[in-house]
Amino acid sequence: MRADPVVTTVNLVKIYQNGGVPVPAVRGVDLRVERGEFVAIMGPSGSGKSTLIHMLGGLDPRTSGEIWLDGKRADTLGESAWALLRRKKIGFVFQFFNLVANMTVADNVELPALLAGASPREARERRERLLDALGLTGCADAAPAQLAGGEQQRVALARALANRPSLLLADEPTGNLDSRNTRDVLKLLGEVHRDGQTIIMVTHDARVASLADRVVSLLDGQIVDDGAVAAPRRRPRGTAGDVVELRG
Amino acid sequence: MGTVRASARWIRADLRARRGQAILTVLAVTGIVTALITSATLLEDGTNPWRRLFIQTKGAHVWIHTEDAPDVAALSRLPGVEQVAGPYRTAPVTLVLDGKKSPVALREATAEPPRVAAPLVREGRWLRPADGGGVVAERSFAQALGLRVGDPFPVTALSGASHPLVVVGLADSSDQGFYPEWTPGLAWTLPETLNEIEPAQGRSESVTGLRLADGEDTLPAVHGAVTLLDERIQRMSTWREVSASMELDNRLLGLLLALFGTAGLVAAALALANATGGRVLTQTRDIATLKSLGYTRGQVFAVLVTEHGALGLLGIALGLACGRLVATFTLDGLPILPLSPVPLLAITGGTAAVVLVAVALPAWRGGRTPPIPAAPAAPPRGRLSRLARLALLVRLPPALVLGTRDAFTRRTPAVLSVVGLAVPMMMITIGLGCWATLDDFLRHPERVGQAAALTVHPGRLPAEVAARLAGADPDVAAVYPGAEVSALEPEQTRSVLARALGTSAEPYPFSVVEGRMFAARGEAVAGQGLLDLLGAEIGDRVRMTVGGTPLIVHIVGRVVEPEHDGEVLSLGIDSLAAKDAVPPQFYGLVLRQGADPATVRARLLAASGEALEVRAAVNPAERLAVIRVVIVALTVVLALLALANLLTASALGLRDHALDLAVLKAMGLTPRQVAATLVTGTGLPAVLGVVAGTAAGASVVAGLIDLQGHTSGVGAGIGRTPSAPTLAIAAGTVIGAALLVALIPARRAARAQVPVTAR
Repeated sequence: MRADPVVTTVNLVKIYQNGGVPVPAVRGVDLRVERGEFVAIMGPSGSGKSTLIHMLGGLDPRTSGEIWLDGKRADTLGESAWALLRRKKIGFVFQFFNLVANMTVADNVELPALLAGASPREARERRERLLDALGLTGCADAAPAQLAGGEQQRVALARALANRPSLLLADEPTGNLDSRNTRDVLKLLGEVHRDGQTIIMVTHDARVASLADRVVSLLDGQIVDDGAVAAPRRRPRGTAGDVVELRG
Repeated sequence: MGTVRASARWIRADLRARRGQAILTVLAVTGIVTALITSATLLEDGTNPWRRLFIQTKGAHVWIHTEDAPDVAALSRLPGVEQVAGPYRTAPVTLVLDGKKSPVALREATAEPPRVAAPLVREGRWLRPADGGGVVAERSFAQALGLRVGDPFPVTALSGASHPLVVVGLADSSDQGFYPEWTPGLAWTLPETLNEIEPAQGRSESVTGLRLADGEDTLPAVHGAVTLLDERIQRMSTWREVSASMELDNRLLGLLLALFGTAGLVAAALALANATGGRVLTQTRDIATLKSLGYTRGQVFAVLVTEHGALGLLGIALGLACGRLVATFTLDGLPILPLSPVPLLAITGGTAAVVLVAVALPAWRGGRTPPIPAAPAAPPRGRLSRLARLALLVRLPPALVLGTRDAFTRRTPAVLSVVGLAVPMMMITIGLGCWATLDDFLRHPERVGQAAALTVHPGRLPAEVAARLAGADPDVAAVYPGAEVSALEPEQTRSVLARALGTSAEPYPFSVVEGRMFAARGEAVAGQGLLDLLGAEIGDRVRMTVGGTPLIVHIVGRVVEPEHDGEVLSLGIDSLAAKDAVPPQFYGLVLRQGADPATVRARLLAASGEALEVRAAVNPAERLAVIRVVIVALTVVLALLALANLLTASALGLRDHALDLAVLKAMGLTPRQVAATLVTGTGLPAVLGVVAGTAAGASVVAGLIDLQGHTSGVGAGIGRTPSAPTLAIAAGTVIGAALLVALIPARRAARAQVPVTAR
């Protein structure tokens, strides 16, 4: 028997109400992500990619359609049930890192583990292992504000992975980083993926997207392209990615 | 369990980040609860020793003094009477100690203590059958005279014969108030000893106590006794008078504390709501992050209520402890009863409820924060506020216009800040008003009916000699002959003090606040307490028995009367019957401006060879001096609250406008202008709050004090509004402090490099 896909959406729709005027953000998305896949969702600003990933994590309620996580229907869950689901199954990485400013790096990383019911000792061990793996061992007691952007994003990644989620959702994880830090973070994501982690990443940077197994392109809330990326290699000149990069 | 651990980390981190504000909140709530507990203790009469004494001695509610022994059987049949104490024969004697004479009521008592109103022996022992020359003295009387067990107690009877007695014990009693508020002093001796000292029945009186089934309802028994005994009654007292005379001016203090405590609680609720709300706004992104990590709405609510509520509850717990300590320390040595559980629970539960509601409302909003951390919680933007447009119109500097605009972008926090400062400021102004009123008492004692700084009792000298000696002193401006007798009000249920001072033609300068001064025989002025007691108004004619003589008194005015709860009738000495007025019992001496009463007193004593008894008047302000301490303490608590509010407003202002700073700098504002913008944004609501609070306080303070004066019997006309310079200095100080508090973070923010990114 084949394992259930990690994420399945059926005709997923999101319509915002803007002063009484309906603004469709996502218009009938059917997406299926298998276990261990690394999917990049690409698209220009306003194409609905952030809305889509927020709906997948339950941060934003859907207007209609279905969301299935690990073979269980999730779109009908209430806000609290989604929260409980996120604790165990979903890790989030945001563009602006979103570390809790008042807490130390160690506390930030231990928080999700504690929330999911781990003992303080277990949480500490997991945190030490994660920070070690991400090269942040020395920063445990630092405040997030004392770290550089790339380091903060690595901490955020550690936090997202603290509960070994079945799905890692990354919303423009490199959007606020310079090229060197982008490379570092992407390298980490690649390593995590190689360890079997399912990842859905939103980006508008083709070079970042090229790291994924599969790129889903969104335009005006609809999937316009969905295809596997060839094995990593140097891209020939003149691809769409370069155009986007030039414009950006 | 996991959630609890995670939440505990979050709360700990957050409290660490805002340590100062958290401590301020705890301290302020502590102060308020302390004030409320202390006030309830004082108001509940737990500090009134009478309550405990009455229970311990199984006291009588009504005491009747008659010429001879009344019919006990008839008295015990009166409505509501449970038991009868006495009748006890009581003879007036004079205790002579070191040349000082003190009147004493020597009361007969058997060796076996009575079942009702038994004196409570504190030192020594009760009388024994063999104690021929022994007395048990009432303790407050003994303390005032420095008497101990075993000391001689030489008394002189009306016949002039001296009798050497010995103190065998000291006892507390709830039959009468403490000496010297209540005179004469009281001592018990065996009936045989009393017979020996005063064999003439006609020179003694009979004292009977009635213990009632319901102490609150004394009237039927009192009316019954009056009907039964009629002319034979010399005077009567009820437990209310005894209780009132033992009271330690606690009521006023209690009311003041209650007023401050309640208003402080409102201010604390505002401060807590503002702090929680402000924290929710500044932490929107962190809360959203928590939710994205898996916190539910209810858990976020619980975390916020726990954190902010815990500060309040900690304050309440500390306040309860402090309240108990304050009561113990300030009323050290008095037989006080601790606060009974009902008000204690009411205060604890009430403040806890206020704290939790104040915290829960903003926390609920915090729980509803959407879980998308990227969504910035920008303040509502839009058109310039009216105030800002006005600022623009009058061409204020740009920093001020921008600050004015910023001040009201968020309505609720702005209103909370304004009211949160206005309430403490109003209370501070009221405190200053109380202070000014006390100062006024001290500076102008004549306005509270204390024009005479000294009273001279002739003592061993003839009255005329005393008057001449007093009049001859260079610093004495006027000498008024006076006498004090008891007056029975028309229903004969209560005796009040009738004070004759000066003559109708030349009245003593009472401070008449309504109506006019008495100017003819039969005219009198009264304190508010007496008017309330009689249900009379100015202009009424009232039939009273003054010093045993029936008299129709025409009340022509109301005076400020700080003594005896205002239940005092003041009239010219020529209105009294000759037996009471000639010779005058004492003389009231009005001194020249600037004369020192102590010097004059010493001079008079020297001139008379220590024969005169010269007493200095005790200004009510001196008895109320503790109020000043209370005012200072409460002002500190209120200032803490105002400060906590300011810190919130300042933090919120910074958070809301941090993004604007970069834009402002890009537009060319200097760091100083940026700081000015931020300070204006925080300072403007502060200024508005302070001005509104000062104005509100100043407009109600005199009325409030007069209201208190009215209910306490002193009467309206004593309230003073703090002077304009005082108010200006107070308001200026607070505004200055507010701007300073706003300036420090503003300067730091203005100099910091502001990243031009979304939060």
